[in-house]
Amino acid sequence: MSSIESPSAGQGRLMASGQRRLRLYVTMGQRLLRDSLLFQILLHDEVELVGESETGVATLNRLKRATPSVLLIEENLQDNDGLTIAEHALAVNPSLSVLLISDTPVSSGRMAIYLEAGIKAVVSKDQPVQELIKTLFYIRNGQVYVGNWQQEPAPAAMLAYQALSGREREVAQLMASRLPVRDIAGRLGVSCKTVHSYKDRIFVKLGFERLPELILFMQRHQHGAAE
Amino acid sequence: MATSGAAEILLRYDDDQDRQHFETLFASDFVIHAFATDQGALDYLPSAATIPTAIVLLPNRADDYLESSLLARARDHHPRILKILIGDAIALNLLVKLLDHQLVDRCFEQPVNPDVIRSHVLTAALTREGQTFSPDTSEAHEGPKPAILIVDDEPTATRYLSRQLERMQDEFRVLSAISAEEAQLVLQKDSDVAVVMTDQRMPGMHGKELLDELRQSHPTIVRILTSAWGEVDVAMDAVNEGRIFRYQKKPWNAAELLSLFRKALVQHRTLVSARDRSRSIAEQQFAELRQQRRARLLEHLNERVDGFTGEPITADFLDALATVRTLPAQPPHLRASRETALEHDLVRDFAGMAGRQLSTLQPGHVHGIQNRQAFDQALANALENPAGTSETQTPLMALCQALATLMKASGLERSALELTRTESGLMVASASPLHMYSHLLAPITRLSRPLLEQQSALLMLFVSTRLLAGDIDVTGGDQCLRLSLHLPARAD
Repeated sequence: MSSIESPSAGQGRLMASGQRRLRLYVTMGQRLLRDSLLFQILLHDEVELVGESETGVATLNRLKRATPSVLLIEENLQDNDGLTIAEHALAVNPSLSVLLISDTPVSSGRMAIYLEAGIKAVVSKDQPVQELIKTLFYIRNGQVYVGNWQQEPAPAAMLAYQALSGREREVAQLMASRLPVRDIAGRLGVSCKTVHSYKDRIFVKLGFERLPELILFMQRHQHGAAE
Repeated sequence: MATSGAAEILLRYDDDQDRQHFETLFASDFVIHAFATDQGALDYLPSAATIPTAIVLLPNRADDYLESSLLARARDHHPRILKILIGDAIALNLLVKLLDHQLVDRCFEQPVNPDVIRSHVLTAALTREGQTFSPDTSEAHEGPKPAILIVDDEPTATRYLSRQLERMQDEFRVLSAISAEEAQLVLQKDSDVAVVMTDQRMPGMHGKELLDELRQSHPTIVRILTSAWGEVDVAMDAVNEGRIFRYQKKPWNAAELLSLFRKALVQHRTLVSARDRSRSIAEQQFAELRQQRRARLLEHLNERVDGFTGEPITADFLDALATVRTLPAQPPHLRASRETALEHDLVRDFAGMAGRQLSTLQPGHVHGIQNRQAFDQALANALENPAGTSETQTPLMALCQALATLMKASGLERSALELTRTESGLMVASASPLHMYSHLLAPITRLSRPLLEQQSALLMLFVSTRLLAGDIDVTGGDQCLRLSLHLPARAD
């Protein structure tokens, strides 16, 4: 047992193994939250949004025609209980994978009940968006996924950041200030190719896939909000 | 049940470095008891304070574990322990044999994804998946003969095999399909399919994907994967994710398959009887719970509600609810009722909400409503202010407020209500059924605000209609109800 796959590499393998696209239906009451989440999720090109609703009734009305493979649904909706709606959706389409979003972390007892009711995973609004996206991919083929949902997430990125070399940190800071690669190269007196290879290394080490993740991390870090 | 405290893992390792690495990955998630020998682990098991959730094996040579006395003991005496093998390289033959002997439940090659291992163990700790029932060896019951469905894109081989199998026995029928898509059509038509054996490599949907779907849609159908290609990663995924019964290598041998299918049919009967038993137990036990809930609701509401009008409104309301059919009771509903505060909170919260709404009602001596216009105005107000802001309400306001809440829960607009003028008053009816996915007397997994509001609205509808000297008629359907109110009113 020598090495482990990084979470993102594991995700990559999972995505490659199933050729089917992830047909996503999202039921969330608030437009702002729904949009922010979808902006993140739809960056993954295997995901196809086949429908969205604000209410449980609308979800059940549209689900049959939309034929999603995954339903992302909030537990607390305005018109009906999200879990009840999910149970009805599963009665109609048992192969649907349901990911329930709870307001707060659920207890083990409740998690057990949800899993027994056919819910594939529960993510709480306290968790980072990366956790939700990871979960979405794990459950896409009908698998149950239970993360260490009650534990504080390890400050993995923080530790990884401290392990970056001085030059890597410098590049990370310049990238986070949205400076183009060409300008970074000019400022450091190195080639663009070198900056790109720094960039790749920083992303791998911090476990990020995209610039916005790095920008968010660096700004939080800078203002001490990362603790 | 390992719902309190961390789940425990019994780790059987050969190499100390492997143990250390495993502990680094999982020490924060699980309590790990590590043993370097089978004997050490076997000695520990009977004396353990809690039976571990999983046995994880980290062998130097995975093949040695075919003879593992630890795995055999776990299989025979602790069927609920999840058995996970993690090897540097797993040969297909080994996997096939481990499955045949039911020695492992999950199998992974290094390097493993810790998320996945953690999820498997946590899931096993939380659910009762490991619950096994003694195999049902009784002879096939009367009724249609069960069918084995073989899915393969080479029809000649399948046809030949089917004929051979049909000649050799009289216990089952043999059906075939040339693709996963055709298999799904066969399954729609023939409800007696007990076993599906599918080839992995086919145009269109692959065998593993078909089995993944079947696991969800037809959980009692026994799943077998077959392939001429020794793709061990596919086989491992099928074991770990698709929970296949066996992996059958090609070329097929009719005698071997006959014995395999017989075992699969026993497994199918076991699954069916376990499902039927758990269903009938759930229904029976929920019927008792429903009685208790009804009695407690009556007890808590009777005086308060019926005192308003001097009529047995609570009982009428609960009788009306009982006509609304919801999904049948399942084990998680029972669990929610028994293991959480659901039953207590349901009665308390509903009685509280109903009490608050009743206290805003101005009893007054109202007989009938003024006219249709007054009703229209009150309804429009209620639809515009769904929260019901006023501190006191006339019965008409309360009635319209209740209608607005019920319509919101159904996603319906004002146009869904039909108003008709009758000789003595107004007739208000729902043009299309109102949705009711759950109610106070239905199996519930979770208490929510929308549920309480909807239920309370229906109760208020009963109360306010009576206060207006009207009649209410509720007819339940599948997850819905139809309403009709008759309210005395003066001429327009």
